[in-house]
Amino acid sequence: MNPLIINKEYTETIYLFNEAKADLHIVQQEASTLNLFVLHLTDLSCMQHIHIQQEGEHCRTNIYGLAVLKGKQEYLCDTLLEHQKENGTSTLIFKYLLFDEAKGEFVGRLKVQPNAQHTDASQTNRNIVLSDKAKMRTMPQLEIYADDVRCSHGATTGALDNEAIFYMQQRGLQKDLARQLLLQAFAEDIFEKMPIQQQEQARNLFTQRI
Amino acid sequence: MILSIKNLHANIGEKEILKGVSLDIREGEIHAIMGPNGAGKSTLSAVLTGNPAYTVTQGEVLFNGKDLLKMSPEDRAREGLFLCFQYPVEIPGVSMVNFMRTAVNEKRKYQGQKELTASEFLKLMREKKELVEIDDRLTKRAVNEGFSGGEKKRNEIFQMAMLEPSLSILDEADSGLDIDALRIVAEGVNKLHNDKNASIVITHYQRLLDYIVPDFVHILYEGKIVKTGDKKLALTLEQKGYDWIKDELV
Repeated sequence: MNPLIINKEYTETIYLFNEAKADLHIVQQEASTLNLFVLHLTDLSCMQHIHIQQEGEHCRTNIYGLAVLKGKQEYLCDTLLEHQKENGTSTLIFKYLLFDEAKGEFVGRLKVQPNAQHTDASQTNRNIVLSDKAKMRTMPQLEIYADDVRCSHGATTGALDNEAIFYMQQRGLQKDLARQLLLQAFAEDIFEKMPIQQQEQARNLFTQRI
Repeated sequence: MILSIKNLHANIGEKEILKGVSLDIREGEIHAIMGPNGAGKSTLSAVLTGNPAYTVTQGEVLFNGKDLLKMSPEDRAREGLFLCFQYPVEIPGVSMVNFMRTAVNEKRKYQGQKELTASEFLKLMREKKELVEIDDRLTKRAVNEGFSGGEKKRNEIFQMAMLEPSLSILDEADSGLDIDALRIVAEGVNKLHNDKNASIVITHYQRLLDYIVPDFVHILYEGKIVKTGDKKLALTLEQKGYDWIKDELV
């Protein structure tokens, strides 16, 4: 598969809304920006590979993803972000919501090549598991070969906050509604990064899914 | 009568914390519940509000004549019970405005009233904000997110003003507050108090009762109310400490 090239100083915004079949390979030239939004809100079980190379200096990469998995669904998202030249920045936030017996897996590979000094990269994977039988596996993998860089990563997997649910119930909200507000809040973090026009579509897909 | 508790026993896990609490609260009254750490003060507020971490093993609670213990936590709230939390929970991503609008309208629906329109709601919010002197800054953010201790407590009082409960329980409302924040919280409570509603003020220290003057002071010790008096009892406690009670019980 030929990679998609983002030309020098261009900005490309890509939406993969329920299009997980499509693997993605993108090469960024100097001072280009990639905004990538991935939503996996269907019953489809699959593996998705996303490979981004910052081939030029001063590139910017933003990746935001959200998956809601149900039933016996399995979904693996494997990301590889390569910083190859100086002064690149990247932000990745990927979230999973797992119901029933769903299995989710997230691989966040971050590679900073020796030439990629002054890279500033952050990677976050947050997951909420809503049933005892659902499983989440998260694997951040950082390979850093340059010495003057800033890289951070964090991964958390937990249940819904019961104290927050009780707090809302104490104010008169039904338990189901409280749960729903928390789930929406969890997803909103991703939606609010999108341009206004896509936010509405994303919210609708999400509401139908949960 | 707003609240009538008879012989209430409650456990957390296998451990019995409340060992027969009885208490009657009428319209217009403020009751202080004091006691040493571990006496069961916070358990009492948790049990009354229906916190699922606790199990009631015995006893009866009537709230405005209805069986409180049979109700879900949200129905208790809609019936007019409000807990001012000791540690208000941060809920990132849920805005204060939406949260309050939902809460107010859920209560109205439950009580057979029409839901407020957006403009009616905003008007109500403006009135109550002025009443309890809360900043716009706070109501525009997510629920309690990044609030200081004082801001969280002030936000609880604001919510109390919005929901107009018939019984409010203030669980250690003074913990973690400096004297200015304490005064603002107490003033809010006093402004909201009238001859139709009632409050339970749970506190370890007498300090808060300088600002919120109780009609009755109860001492909770080892899961029971062991002494009841007027506001002077709180002063005696302050001077003599809780050991005095322990000695008296022997």
